[in-house]
Amino acid sequence: MSGPLHLDPDTLNACVSCGLCLPHCPTYRVTGREIASPRGRIAAMRAVETGAVPIDTEFRAAMEECVSCRGCEAACPSGVQFGSLMEGTRAALPAPPSRLRRWAEWLGYRVVLPHHRLLLATTWFAWLGQKLRLVPARFGLPRLSARSMFRPLAVPVGGTPDAWLFTGCVMDAWLRDTHRSAARVMAATGTAVSRPPSSAACCGALHLHAGREEEARSLARRVIASMPGDAPVVVDSAGCGLAMKEYGVLLDTPAARAFSARVADFSEWLVRRPLPKMRATGVRVVVQDPCHLRHVQKVHGAVRNVLAPAYELVETADDGLCCGAGGAYSVLQPELSQRILARKLDALRSAAGRVDPIVASANPGCMVQLRGAGIDARHPADLIAEVLDG
Amino acid sequence: MTDLRACVGEGRASDEPLELALYARDAGVAVGRADAVCFPGSGAEIAAAVRVARRHGRPFVARGSGTGLAGGSTPLGDPVVIVTTQMNRVLEVDAQTCVAWVEPGVLNLDLSREVAPLGLHYAPDPSSQQACTIGGNVGTNAGGPHCLSEGVTSAHILAVDVVLPDGTEARLGSLAPDAPGYDLRGCFVGSEGTMGIATRIAVRLTPDPPCVATILCAFDSVEAAAATVSGVIAAGVLPAALEMMDARITQAVEDFVGAGYPRDAQAVLLVEVDGLEGGVATQVDAISSVARTNGATLVRVAADDAERALLWKGRKSAFGAIARIAPDYYLHDAVVPRTKLVDVLRRVYEIADAHELIVMNVFHAGDGNLHPLLVFDRREPGIWDRVYAAGTEILDACLDAGGVLTGEHGVGIEKRDLMARMFSVDDLDAQARLRDAFDPDGAANPQKVLPSGSRCGELQRVPDGTWI
Amino acid sequence: MTTPPDTNRALDIAPVGARTHWEVGGPPVAGATEVRAPVGVLAYEPADMTITVGAGTTFDELDRVLAEQGQQCALDPRSRAATVGGILACGLSGPRRLRHGPVRDHVLEVRFETGDGRLVKGGGPTVKNVTGYDLPRLFVGSLGTIGVLHQATLRCRPRPVRSQWFTGVDTARAFRPAARLWDGRREAVLLEGVDVDVEAEGRGLAALAAPPRFPDGPHRGRISVAPGAVRACAAALTRTPSESASAPGEVRWCAELGVGTIHVAADDAAALARARSVAHAHGGWMLREAGGSAADDGYGCALPNAALMRRVKDAFDPAGKLNRGRLPLGAVHA
Ligand SMILES: Cc1cc2nc3c(=O)[nH]c(=O)nc-3n(C[C@H](O)[C@H](O)[C@H](O)COP(=O)(O)OP(=O)(O)OC[C@H]3O[C@@H](n4cnc5c(N)ncnc54)[C@H](O)[C@@H]3O)c2cc1C
Ligand code: SF4
Ligand code: SF4
Repeated sequence: MSGPLHLDPDTLNACVSCGLCLPHCPTYRVTGREIASPRGRIAAMRAVETGAVPIDTEFRAAMEECVSCRGCEAACPSGVQFGSLMEGTRAALPAPPSRLRRWAEWLGYRVVLPHHRLLLATTWFAWLGQKLRLVPARFGLPRLSARSMFRPLAVPVGGTPDAWLFTGCVMDAWLRDTHRSAARVMAATGTAVSRPPSSAACCGALHLHAGREEEARSLARRVIASMPGDAPVVVDSAGCGLAMKEYGVLLDTPAARAFSARVADFSEWLVRRPLPKMRATGVRVVVQDPCHLRHVQKVHGAVRNVLAPAYELVETADDGLCCGAGGAYSVLQPELSQRILARKLDALRSAAGRVDPIVASANPGCMVQLRGAGIDARHPADLIAEVLDG
Repeated sequence: MTDLRACVGEGRASDEPLELALYARDAGVAVGRADAVCFPGSGAEIAAAVRVARRHGRPFVARGSGTGLAGGSTPLGDPVVIVTTQMNRVLEVDAQTCVAWVEPGVLNLDLSREVAPLGLHYAPDPSSQQACTIGGNVGTNAGGPHCLSEGVTSAHILAVDVVLPDGTEARLGSLAPDAPGYDLRGCFVGSEGTMGIATRIAVRLTPDPPCVATILCAFDSVEAAAATVSGVIAAGVLPAALEMMDARITQAVEDFVGAGYPRDAQAVLLVEVDGLEGGVATQVDAISSVARTNGATLVRVAADDAERALLWKGRKSAFGAIARIAPDYYLHDAVVPRTKLVDVLRRVYEIADAHELIVMNVFHAGDGNLHPLLVFDRREPGIWDRVYAAGTEILDACLDAGGVLTGEHGVGIEKRDLMARMFSVDDLDAQARLRDAFDPDGAANPQKVLPSGSRCGELQRVPDGTWI
Repeated sequence: MTTPPDTNRALDIAPVGARTHWEVGGPPVAGATEVRAPVGVLAYEPADMTITVGAGTTFDELDRVLAEQGQQCALDPRSRAATVGGILACGLSGPRRLRHGPVRDHVLEVRFETGDGRLVKGGGPTVKNVTGYDLPRLFVGSLGTIGVLHQATLRCRPRPVRSQWFTGVDTARAFRPAARLWDGRREAVLLEGVDVDVEAEGRGLAALAAPPRFPDGPHRGRISVAPGAVRACAAALTRTPSESASAPGEVRWCAELGVGTIHVAADDAAALARARSVAHAHGGWMLREAGGSAADDGYGCALPNAALMRRVKDAFDPAGKLNRGRLPLGAVHA
């Protein structure tokens, strides 16, 4: 029997309220409140499903405050599928009451993200805004570099490569240098790399988190069609990588499942190849695991393996707790996001011995979030490209 | 509400129905109802919140992480729930004298992590240590695998600053080894929030041992494993930890984490000894030989830290492994004398068979602390009655063997009405008078621990969504 | 133990053990009816490492029975003639508390008779138990004012293969020694374990032929200070040469390092009083164990949480018959 949220009762009841997930939830860690915890969110969903409480602003806020980092899912001994519960809940939430917000969401999810040129154009505006100091720093926009944006990515489009490099939407617009690094490192292993046409830019992860399942599905179909064949699909954004690995579940077709099986995170792919020659630098690098890499893809070990030849790696003592970036989260929930970030910075700094460290982070969202706080966050691809021999 | 907000601050108190609903229970089975909830940031705020509750004729309930399994922080009597999670700072650490002052909301594992660079740790390590608070541990006098040699929480708490049920503040115990008068600190630890709320806690830290060895032993029968437990103790060895898992659990754990336990064993023991090198070696030899004498099919000493960690991961994931194979389970926490383990375990299996239930055993064998788990699917009609009946028979068997009702989870609401099986009217009366000395009006966590003369029908005997 | 339940206020009751610690916290009012607890081992299961004894059993007897099975219970009273009931009532831990824990951590179950004549059981016979309130810990150190102990179940431990006192400058280095003492002249450390470990740890230290002795004298007490303050407090007990001969006499002392207990003894009451003021100056307090001036109430400081303690006392002894005059509420009560 399912209620207004149409959640699978078995998935919902799998939660036994043990509370072992609590410390792994970034919003619980900073608030200490059940309502901002996985257990509390599940209990709230249950209460709504059974009709004990209505879908009101309280409930909506509780759901929207979730970063969707899925740290709880990895920690849960009972295997509760939190990600799917949250996506289901958000999909079932009625449209937000505020018209301004509805309009902003429409603009973002329907217009800008799926249309890569528009995103690039918007980015240029943002760049201009930054230059003119119109965009306050707290907006969490990365410091944009005109040089990087102007230089196109020198990777062939389409064809039959040894491996695809998925370039994405926001990442391509904001952190194109990282794609360059990834392509260089891939080439250094003797791989012929192509990228999909920019019409298939957005993976749809943000849409899915926002409960816009239909839009996510149509974006997924576009992405799948853009990279035919069976060459591996390499993704240098942990968030996109996860979404693409879950296309199989989202679309539930054999083709989608086959595509998902081809998807690999950059480090995950690289570690399976003979590693390119790197210079050992002895430089200390603190590893920050993007949630979707660690908690769901569970391939964060690969990042360490590919960086170890060149860097002295340091771990944080926070079990890979989220940094608060969470896709659009840092923009939608700035206050919580900043408190989560503060915790993260503390962990990073104490791991590095109370100095501002170089941080390896395999996700653009995290990089942007950390850079916004003045941390020198770099993608593993960038770190490796820097020390390639020859 | 206005008064409550005034003392803890705007945004730190709530009576929103949704938020209150989330504080209706802990990790146990009983469901109550909170009247208000607040999140104080200091001892003074806790005291103020208690006074507000009292002024409005409301009881109050202390709550940490709500991982308690006995319904200790389930709100009964429309109380104000006072949550300590925002008081989560380690205030002072003195590595020289091995003492730390902490706020009650500090998580058990966070404390050990914080002092790890000093070569110290906080010894009591409940399986829930990643999530439970030191305040909650004080409340339940929590135990853990490594409490076999180090003692449970009470042995590690030197002093507690508390807010008494009348809203006044007091320090119980002291850093000095003895405090004048009665050991009120000793009374308070394990009082499950019925004697007040801890606001600052001085804990004893333990130096990390220079040498640790973890031994895995496998057996063809549960009896052989249990006999080994008694044998090890009889041989004059007190391991740091001594845990046992039966065949069903072992297989479930292997499927779940692949910790390297033998799948064909009927029972496995995980034994850890620590200390100085020579003592560890001697104890490893003694344990190995007792195990072999009892017909162990495998005795393996973990080769390195990685293997040790993996074996422990297996043990600590046991509950999760079960959760993945069975929709529901019901768990007891009785303790029996170590010499009675073989008999009691046999009875436990018999009882489960008689009720056509599956029982799994994973427990702190070294101190005889059983955790028999009855596994079931609550959708099966009438199943709860069978589970409940079997559970009660198992408890009876444990008590008959000279055991006790609960070894670490506490009485709370779950075992409250079973207290009379272990204690006489006079025993309970004495405990009730002690409680009255702290809380004459019964305002602190009412209806817990001691059975009340009057049943108000507030507890469902067979609650829903059961998992303990 | 045949004292009938009697609410007659005039009938004072004083439980008696071996009188080895009779002056601690007391003595009780004169004319009290003395009662004695049963003697003997009631149950001992070595493989459980638990033993149940009548409270009148002496430590000597207890230790002898345990030793036969290679076990021990580290209550370590000052006198081996002390009874288990007396040891628990006084709650004075021995020097091995550093490693083995205080007296209160050794008690699993108590059965005692309350002031209103009820036989009450608290705790449980197993090594681990959280069923109900912790009456055993409450009983320890209650000086016979909340009940007359009939029997107790104690936790035992394996006896160490080797146990050796050493002396030297660097006793802090040893890994979790059983005891560390300092008397101002030298430090001593008690190492327990298997031979190789004791030898390895003892390297660089000199073995002692006999264990160090606590100071003795007609006026005795034990100071409790935070372990961090123990050295400073102990050092302050030694009279400086500049102090005139008219000042109170010398205080002999021995400090338990890492614990915070300092055993003090003196030949005159004034010296003991000075020791107490030194304790107060270091944030501690002193329990008088023997002697002292007539005005000495035993604590020399305000009883913390006195009102609460008063209610606890009343809960078990509403008519105030048990050990009237003894601490904790002695002076207030008498
Ligand atoms: C998977 C799992 C495994 C577990 N394993 C163990 C185990 O191995 N050993 C063990 O002992 N327990 C175990 N538990 C039970 C539980 O974790 C412990 O009882 C723990 O001590 C509860 O801590 P908490 O912070 O969650 O407290 P809560 O559940 O919030 O509260 C517990 C009790 O303490 C009181 N309390 C809380 N804070 C305070 C305070 N500041 N002052 C006074 N009273 C307070 C509450 O009123 C309540 O009665 C386990 C639980 C789970 C879910
Ligand atoms: S989500 Fe999982 S870990 Fe969290 S309370 Fe539920 S069962 Fe426990
Ligand atoms: S997904 Fe992340 S933020 Fe959301 S409940 Fe789980 S742990 Fe918390």
